[in-house]
Amino acid sequence: MKRDVLKFRKSDLLAAALVLLAALLTCALLPRLMQTGEFASVYQDGRLIRRVPLTVDQTFSVTGDYTNTVTVKDGKIAVTVSDCPTNDCVHQGWRSSGGAIICLPNRVEIRLPSDGTVDISVP
Amino acid sequence: MKTITLARSALLVAMALALSYMERFLPLQLIVPLPGVKLGLANLVTMMALYFLSARQGFVILLLRCVLGSVFYGGLSGLAMSLTGGILAYAVMAAAKKSGSFSVYGVSILGAAAHNLGQVLAAGMMMGSVYTLFYLPFLLLTGLLTGVITGSAAAFAFRALRGTKLDALTHTA
Repeated sequence: MKRDVLKFRKSDLLAAALVLLAALLTCALLPRLMQTGEFASVYQDGRLIRRVPLTVDQTFSVTGDYTNTVTVKDGKIAVTVSDCPTNDCVHQGWRSSGGAIICLPNRVEIRLPSDGTVDISVP
Repeated sequence: MKTITLARSALLVAMALALSYMERFLPLQLIVPLPGVKLGLANLVTMMALYFLSARQGFVILLLRCVLGSVFYGGLSGLAMSLTGGILAYAVMAAAKKSGSFSVYGVSILGAAAHNLGQVLAAGMMMGSVYTLFYLPFLLLTGLLTGVITGSAAAFAFRALRGTKLDALTHTA
């Protein structure tokens, strides 16, 4: 069957929809597949247990002798709830860079991305 | 090669170069401030070659216009981008045309999308980074629009050629 190649067809609309779908899909999936920006590294007993992108809002728990609830929001990270005795980690508040949030009783260390200053602490 | 094919090919290469040069004066970047956004009018020539000459000859014309374009104004990094984008777009358009299920609009839209994908991949390879992929959704959206525009231009141009000698070279797919 010969059809006029100069007339817009339904299949053209399908092609356009396909491209639109591809654009939306890549838009939705790319940030998830490739987490950009800064990460916080969660260590427990000196072992890296989790790398957390600060760009993705989330909440998770780190359980050891105690349980720390860690929340990431608006590029900042904090231990929001902890059942450890002193709650020092919670009191360190929302941080985004430089140093670490530490919960000694739970032996958890959340290392934050460098803020550009020289770290002089002894490892 | 027949002399007439040579003459037509040379004409199309010249047309493509003129179009992509003209396109540089359209301030499209003001509307969509993204690197690599362009109307892609030269693609019109690729489509003409595809429809009026042959898939093989169209490919030769594409390579020629990419190389010559980089000699005149694109530069070497531009060559890598336009070659990757161009070849990918060409493969997709040739396949879409051959399938017979799309009009010039569909072929142009798919070609534009393929070109954008190729561009982003080439940029990624040059920068050694996958983060150029983040441009893809935006480029695909603008590509959809420019694909429709170029497709309309193709339909307009092809329609104008109806009844001329060139018309004998298929208007159906």
